[in-house]
Amino acid sequence: MSRKRRVIFFALIILIIGILTWLNLALGSAKVSGREIIEIFRGLGSDEMHENIIMSIRLPRTISAILLGGALALSGYLLQTFFGNPIVGPFVLGISSGAKLLVALAMIFFLSKGKEMGLFSMVGAAFIGAMGAMAFVLLISLKVKRMSVLVVCGIMIGYICSAITDFVVTFADDSNIVNLHNWSMGSLSGMNMDEIKIIAVTVAACLILTGFILKPMGAYRLGEAYAKSVGVNIPLLRVALIVASSLLAACVTAFAGPISFVGIAVPHLVRSGLKTDNAGVMIPGCFLGGAAVTLLCDAAARSVFAPTEVSISSVTAFLLVPVVIYMMIKRNDRKESL
Amino acid sequence: MGKIKGIETRKLNIGYSFDLVGDISLEAKPGKILTIIGPNGCGKSTLLKTIMGELKERSGVIYLNGQDKRELKPALVAKSLAMVMTYKVKPELMTCREVVEVGRYPYTGRLGILSDTDKELVKEAMESTDVADIADAYFTNISDGQRQRVLLARAICQEPEVLILDEPTSFLDIKHKLDILNQIKRIVKEKNIAVVMSLHELEIARRISDTVAAMGEGKILRVGTPSEVFEEAFIRKLYGIEGMDIDILGAKVWDAKDEGLSGAVTSSFRPSVIMVQGTMSNAGKSVIAAGLCRIFANDGYKVAPFKSQNMALNSFVTEEGLEMGRAQVMQAECARIKPLACMNPILLKPTSDMGSQVIVNGKVVGNMRAMEYFRNKKKFVPDIMKAFDELSKKADIIVIEGAGSPVELNLKSDDIVNMGLAEMLNAPVLLVGDIDRGGIFPQLLGTLDLLEPEERSRVKGLVVNKFRGDSRLFEDGVKILEKKGNTKVVGVVPYMQVKLDDEDSLSERFYVNQAANFDIAVIKLRHISNFTDFDTFEQLKGVSVRYVESPKELGDPDLIILPGTKNTISDLRAIKESGLGEEIVKRAGAGLTVMGICGGYQMLGRRVDDPYGVEEGGSEEGLNLLPVDTVLGGEKIRSDFTGKIKAATGVLCGLSGLSVEGYEIHMGSTEAFEEITEFTSGKTGFCKGNVYGTYLHGFFDKKEIMTGVTEAVSKERNKSLYTAEAMDYAEFKETQYELLDRSLRAALDMDYIYEIMGIKR
Repeated sequence: MSRKRRVIFFALIILIIGILTWLNLALGSAKVSGREIIEIFRGLGSDEMHENIIMSIRLPRTISAILLGGALALSGYLLQTFFGNPIVGPFVLGISSGAKLLVALAMIFFLSKGKEMGLFSMVGAAFIGAMGAMAFVLLISLKVKRMSVLVVCGIMIGYICSAITDFVVTFADDSNIVNLHNWSMGSLSGMNMDEIKIIAVTVAACLILTGFILKPMGAYRLGEAYAKSVGVNIPLLRVALIVASSLLAACVTAFAGPISFVGIAVPHLVRSGLKTDNAGVMIPGCFLGGAAVTLLCDAAARSVFAPTEVSISSVTAFLLVPVVIYMMIKRNDRKESL
Repeated sequence: MGKIKGIETRKLNIGYSFDLVGDISLEAKPGKILTIIGPNGCGKSTLLKTIMGELKERSGVIYLNGQDKRELKPALVAKSLAMVMTYKVKPELMTCREVVEVGRYPYTGRLGILSDTDKELVKEAMESTDVADIADAYFTNISDGQRQRVLLARAICQEPEVLILDEPTSFLDIKHKLDILNQIKRIVKEKNIAVVMSLHELEIARRISDTVAAMGEGKILRVGTPSEVFEEAFIRKLYGIEGMDIDILGAKVWDAKDEGLSGAVTSSFRPSVIMVQGTMSNAGKSVIAAGLCRIFANDGYKVAPFKSQNMALNSFVTEEGLEMGRAQVMQAECARIKPLACMNPILLKPTSDMGSQVIVNGKVVGNMRAMEYFRNKKKFVPDIMKAFDELSKKADIIVIEGAGSPVELNLKSDDIVNMGLAEMLNAPVLLVGDIDRGGIFPQLLGTLDLLEPEERSRVKGLVVNKFRGDSRLFEDGVKILEKKGNTKVVGVVPYMQVKLDDEDSLSERFYVNQAANFDIAVIKLRHISNFTDFDTFEQLKGVSVRYVESPKELGDPDLIILPGTKNTISDLRAIKESGLGEEIVKRAGAGLTVMGICGGYQMLGRRVDDPYGVEEGGSEEGLNLLPVDTVLGGEKIRSDFTGKIKAATGVLCGLSGLSVEGYEIHMGSTEAFEEITEFTSGKTGFCKGNVYGTYLHGFFDKKEIMTGVTEAVSKERNKSLYTAEAMDYAEFKETQYELLDRSLRAALDMDYIYEIMGIKR
């Protein structure tokens, strides 16, 4: 947990985010040169179409990748703290699926009424769905303490939610299906600045909340009993952890659809990089790490099969599942199964 | 109800969904260990969890420092209640330091940032449980024993008043068990923490606990001292092993002899102890203790003296070069054992009216003002215990001497020399009063009355000391003492004419003012040290040793001796101011023999410089009787010396070639600045005319030197002196010790003393 390691880690990750941001702005079907991008940012852009592409399409998408990626990883870290187990994340526990189900239902409901769904209703629906799934997992966790059972239950919830979503989609109007399908695959495309404002506010609120529970989170690492013995208000901490993580996961699901494995794998990668689980460094670390990974995955999603765009979830799964599997094997080596 | 410090339960019922154990009323006071024993599943851990608040009380109340725990804020509870439980904790990538830092949680601000003080406390806690070296290792990567110690450090730096320990020794091997138990014992005493713990190992419970509570059949079956609880029939019933052969388990806990072990868990064998306390200074504690040492030694035991804290100028240097008090040296000689610094772990040498040099286990640790010392003395408990443990390995019987009176009420808190020590070492106490000075009844009965009930019960016998005349005349007095004091009078000791090296005889020696035929004047320096150098003269008839303070007192001595001092420069100034200096110079000029030992020798030179401020700094003109200069400073020299008188001038010229034994203890060196005769070999002393100086303490102890000096000087002074029966001082002392043995044996009820020490003869 040396200071040097932290400084290097954070310097490196900020550098990577910088490079990836540049890459995400520069990459795409329309060729926009680096010099032009700088000119556009300085308000000196000459080509209006290019300016539109950068300012209204690529920039919002890049910012949302940073914010949502960070939010996902942070949500995962909070959940891992809550359960005292590094093999959980919002996707695995079915929280993202719960959010997805509610958003799908709400979307169809609004579309059937011929209305556009408002941004706040999107986030609201996602949050309710996330909390619903979370509540279900917690209910089970009261009965069964074993983590493996809990994770399986989360995956089951995920399936049930997906099944219901599919069921609803089957009976929806054709025009809606395409929309819904795109969304449920997970994508960062089509973000606009209004959406980003809401994302930013939600994420900022959650970051402030985690700031307040930084200290108890540190003591909570020793387990509930020891944390309580030094004066941690356990119920309050647990509520704060659940609310913050669900809100973050809900926010991501509402705007980008379910993005898998970022929440579970990034905290692990960051932890290995920092060689500590100290909340004070892990929270910024996870946020930045999530941002970097999501930027990378989104860049890949957009450009590998360009002009066809693949779902970001496919990319994250492809890149991060090996990490998760490696992590499980390693833990098994240490005689600690799920 | 519930006014005490520590933790207390009142009619507590505990359990998860039903009353598992009911009506639990227990208490653990600061500095005490309460151990819960009982079969698996009897509810030990449930009780501890309920105290910690993990489980709700089903009924009844838990008082923390006298307050209902439910009414206290959790943050406040966290500052006084800490725990080490059996939960497996597996924090990811958490270093041991981070684990310990969690203990500071109740004290840090909103963000939990540790202040320097917090960090220091974390470090101290880790050092105290010996895990400082693994601070940066991950908690999941260390051994079970280390983990337990890290968790204990975490609990310590939470600075609790009450510590809850659930099976602290489970999963640990013998060494780690030993470590953790010793650490628990130590912090309980040092930090005055109340401990409640559960234990399966009854042997350990017996040794470590102050109180044991046996739990079974849904209630507390028995509470009491270990010996009260560990009774065979009861324990067999408690664990359901009636009539079973339990040899396979090894030692049977109810067979254990030594109980209430407050000393060390480390030594399986503990010596028998007896403690001698006095009603006042000079009541004769050291002499009685010395006599007991000799009696036990003559009865065939390995004996050692012990006194936790000595205040004296008169230190002795052991073979290891460590300093200790003279009284214990004398007692060690009585016990026929080599004097060791661990017999006197704390030695205070007054350097001024306000302060003292503090010497711990033989080594100087610094100067402390009296107040400072009293405030911090509790810190020395580990040093005292360490010394006692070390001594325990070397003796069957340890005779402990108290200091001053045990009821100096204003100084009594945190006592580490009298009753506090007796409690730590679980020693029976003999209280000695001095009838010669009058008021023996108020001395003994008053002291008993001022003691706390527990302390009073430690006093197993009274001794009336220094009785002049036929002790049968005091039989009525004995009856009154026994009746009013409700304590046996172990003996009426006659006023003994024994000559011993002993601080308490200091004052008596100082009062000699009659010059005998042959008169030796020792200059009574304000910071005089090692005055036993001249005790050997006392064996000669017709020789007086007077300690003189002024030119008037000086009279017409045959020999003037300047003794050692703790503060050469200040004492040199003082004798110059009082006119003694001038007088000495005048007498020396008239041909009188003048000798200086150590500091006194330094004064005889031309000047004493203190460039490093070892004493007071500056420099001072000496008496200029010897052409030498002294510079104070450099390393403290403490070593034994064997050599000879190389050459001698003047009166003592006949002593040349005699062998000399002694020891040196001084800071600084003395060099001759002109051609001069080397007196004692190794440049430890020089002489010129009838003026002699040497650094050697114990210079006169050899018979040949002592008689040689007195004979030569008396011849010069035309006096006759009978020295034929003189002995080496060591030999002389031996006769005195045997005399002491005989006198004490006749006066004391030794059978009773052996009995209270638990020795069957």
